Amino acid sequence: MSSVDTTPAERDPAIPDGAAAASLVRARDRHRGRETLADIALRAASILALISVWWLLSFFFPPTLVPNPRETFAEVGAIVHSGELASEMGATLRRVGVGFAIAIVFSIPLGIFMGTLRSLESFFEPPVVLGLTMPGLIWAVLAIMFFGLNEKSAYAAVAITILPMLTISIWQGTKSIDKDLIDMSSVFHAGPWSKIVDVILPQLISHILAAIRYGLGFAWKVVVVVEMFGFSNGVGYRVVRGFNTFSMKTVLAWTITFLIVMIVIEFGLIGWLERSVTRWRPRAEAWRR
Amino acid sequence: MATVRVERAVKSFTREDGAEMRVLDGVSFEARESGITCLLGPSGCGKSTLLNAIAGLEKLDAGTIEFHGANASNPIAQLETGNPKLGYVFQDPRLLNWKRVEGNMIFAFKGMNVPRAEWQARLDKYIDLVGLTDFRRQYPLYLSGGMRQRVGLARALAIEPEVLLMDEPFSKLDQLTARKLRQDTLAICARLRQTAMLVTHDVEEAAYMGDRIVIFSARPARIVEVVDNPLPLAARDLDEADFIHFKKRLLNVVLKAIGQEDA
Repeated sequence: MSSVDTTPAERDPAIPDGAAAASLVRARDRHRGRETLADIALRAASILALISVWWLLSFFFPPTLVPNPRETFAEVGAIVHSGELASEMGATLRRVGVGFAIAIVFSIPLGIFMGTLRSLESFFEPPVVLGLTMPGLIWAVLAIMFFGLNEKSAYAAVAITILPMLTISIWQGTKSIDKDLIDMSSVFHAGPWSKIVDVILPQLISHILAAIRYGLGFAWKVVVVVEMFGFSNGVGYRVVRGFNTFSMKTVLAWTITFLIVMIVIEFGLIGWLERSVTRWRPRAEAWRR
Repeated sequence: MATVRVERAVKSFTREDGAEMRVLDGVSFEARESGITCLLGPSGCGKSTLLNAIAGLEKLDAGTIEFHGANASNPIAQLETGNPKLGYVFQDPRLLNWKRVEGNMIFAFKGMNVPRAEWQARLDKYIDLVGLTDFRRQYPLYLSGGMRQRVGLARALAIEPEVLLMDEPFSKLDQLTARKLRQDTLAICARLRQTAMLVTHDVEEAAYMGDRIVIFSARPARIVEVVDNPLPLAARDLDEADFIHFKKRLLNVVLKAIGQEDA
């Protein structure tokens, strides 16, 4: 998380003046850009390797235990075509989305207050740290016992699992806000709205994005667990149904579909969001090439 | 343009161990109108504290800071809050790195209630003045340290302040960049007939930049001497005998002030 705070230009103490500096930064970014391309190739190779291992294993086990990758991916295709993906994934995404929204609404003010007021920091630190160590599975059980088997329990389980994580990021982010910039904005008589929107939020945004990224990872896991407990739709429900009919192919097909959607959201949507709000950083420039 | 009069300014801080530490001990002087007044003194003597008090960032324990217009019929422009319009150039540029060069200046325009109709003309004028016309759509982190400091200068000048305050703006730059930026700042201030105050601990910088040099003692700061620069702008050549002579004179006063006369 801390690595997003230091930019190459800031770390470089002896940067020459003028156009030389600009071309230096550009050259460095181009170098980085090549590294990322190589990284992407390596990641693709790693996924291909995993599928190959799976494919080899399918020769040694009956299809009820290790189904053929091609048939499984055909099942994935069927899920997408039949429209099941949209409805089931829609239900799961809605649960994650609502839970997330609740967590964001509470964690942003809580984190900012903890970062600004020492007394609130001391008061809220124990529950936040405790909450962080609590397994999501236990929150899921507690939420269902409390709210019963309905949407509320899914929202609550997601929200409470990621709340501590988001709060900690925003709390630490608030603590690291540059006081000199606040002074600067006072010298130029910036109003309270301008101080928040132009000075404070841009400094928090990278912390909030990092928190969202970590939070999403946990939210997916919790929501699937909640759905497995007895919901009648959602990806978790589909996986359990596959389990009940002992159809390994169904379980794997839904898992893969879920993983793909997750990856698209995490790397595509969040990554795009991150790049578009941090365009001012020389490092972000490297990603666009 | 306006001038600033500081009268018997007193300021103390409470240290971590609870002891009172006096930084300003009855400081009085008047800044030169339409010229640069340098506050020269050893590091940590309280001259930056005084500049912050003038900017309204700190409160004095006692004493007054007054701003005067050129004459009675020409009162100084005031903001709605009653404060005079002041521009501030910091030691670090203190830019909003997520805003382009223009955006950083517009941030100041909004705070200072500059009418929107004037924004474009002012952007053009002041970005050109500091020589960043080719970089106006650039983000600060893509600029070098010297260029970022120029953005800070443009931002402070573009609000067309009564007084421009500068807190050691060249001290974190490498020697050559600092030298060029000093030259340019001096020329820009002269061209705009800008009343300015510059805090520095560098005797040569004070001799070069200052039309008036106010020499501070070590903490708790008092004024040791106020010297008006005998050299006109054109004669301020770092290698000229007159300049070296004036610089030596200032240096002697400073050394005496901090009790290192024989060092």
